[in-house]
Amino acid sequence: MSAHLRITEERAGDVTILRLDGRFELEDGDLAFRDCVNALLADGRVKIILDFQEVSRIDSAGIGMLVSKFLSARTRGGTMKLLHLTRHSDHLLDITRLDTVFEIFEDEAAAVKSFGTAT
Amino acid sequence: MANVTNRRILLVDDDRGLRHVLSTLLRDAGHQVETAGDGPEALTLLGNQTFDIVLLDIGLPSMSGLDVLAQARDLPKPPLVIMMTADDTSETLLESVRRQAYRYLRKPFPPNTIVDVISDAGAPASALSFEVISARPEWLELVAPCTLEMAERIQSFVMHLDAHLPEDIREAVASAFRELLTNAIEWGGKFDPNRKVRISCVRAKKMLFYRIADPGEGFDIDGLRHAAISNPDGDPIRHLIVREEQGLRPGGFGLAMTRSLVDELIYNEARNEVIFVKYLE
Repeated sequence: MSAHLRITEERAGDVTILRLDGRFELEDGDLAFRDCVNALLADGRVKIILDFQEVSRIDSAGIGMLVSKFLSARTRGGTMKLLHLTRHSDHLLDITRLDTVFEIFEDEAAAVKSFGTAT
Repeated sequence: MANVTNRRILLVDDDRGLRHVLSTLLRDAGHQVETAGDGPEALTLLGNQTFDIVLLDIGLPSMSGLDVLAQARDLPKPPLVIMMTADDTSETLLESVRRQAYRYLRKPFPPNTIVDVISDAGAPASALSFEVISARPEWLELVAPCTLEMAERIQSFVMHLDAHLPEDIREAVASAFRELLTNAIEWGGKFDPNRKVRISCVRAKKMLFYRIADPGEGFDIDGLRHAAISNPDGDPIRHLIVREEQGLRPGGFGLAMTRSLVDELIYNEARNEVIFVKYLE
C-alpha cells in the first residue's frame, strides 16, 4: 500500500499519541491507519490521541475509518481523542456532526490529562 | 495503489541543483535515476534506454518539455511522464493533459511529493489513457476509465486549474469533486477500467460547475441507509452499523459532506449523473 499517511507513535503513560502526516484517504492512509490502530488495540493500548496537525487531506473514507476505529477503541473500554485539527478537517467534522462524537483538543497536555493518566 | 521501488526514472531539468536534490532523493527511495539537462539529451536517452517514468521540466532550453512529452508518448514503450513546472498558466497544464501527461506538479513542491507520486504510479504498460473531449481553461471535459489511480490523476489536473481560487473555495471544491468522482468510479463504475466516467469542469465568471456522469444504473436515494444523509438527528454515525451489516468499508459521509461544501448539488432522475455548483460571489 502507499505510504502517503506516515504515522509516528509516542507514549505518555498509558496514552498513545499517533502523529499523522499526509493524506488520510480511500485505499491510502485509511488502511495504514486501520492497521496501526488494530495493532494498538490488540496490545491493550486503548487510550489514543490522534494528532492531525500534518494531515494534508482527508476524505469520507478516512473519516469513516476514523469513526470505525473510534468505535473499536470504545468497545474495548478505551477511546480516541483528536488533537490539532486543521481548519479543513475541523470543518468536515463540523458538517458531518462528528464534532459531537469526538473530544477535540488544541493543547496536547490537556488532551493527555483528560484521560486521567499520570505522565 | 502500488508502492513500488526500483523504477527506472529519467529526470530532465536544466536546474543542476534540483537535479542533484531530486536524483539523490529518488535513489535513496530505491529507484534507478538517469538525468538530462535539456530536451535533446533527454530524447537521446529515451531512444537508447527504456524508462518507467520521466520527470520532465516544461521550461527547458532549446526545446520545450511539452515537445519532449509528445515524443516520449510516441515511443513503442512510452514511459509515464510527470510534468514539473513553475509556469502557473492553465494553457500549460491543458497542453500537458492533451498530450497524456501522467501527472502535473507545480514548482516548488515538497521533495517527498515526488516520491509519493512515483510510489503511486502503476507500471507504464498498465497505464490507462483518458479521452480529452475539451481542454479549454473554461471547459475541461474528459472521459476516463473507472480506477482510483485515474481519479487521482484527474483530480490533480482539475485542482491545478483551481489554484488561483481562495483557499476555502479550493478546499471545498476539491473535497466535493473527490467525493463525487470516487462515488462514480466505485459505485457506478465498480472500479472497472473498461467502464468510463465522463467529467466536465466549467468555469464561468461567477461560478464553478462540475458534472460527473458514471456508467452505472444510478441509485435510489431513499435506499441509502448506509449513508450518513439517512441518519436521524443526533446520531451522526448510525449508518456505520448498516455498513458493517452489509460488509461495506467504513465511510458513507461523502454525500453529507458534499451537500455542505457546495452551493448546488443536482442529480438526474436515475442518479447516475450529478452536477455541483460553487458560486464565486
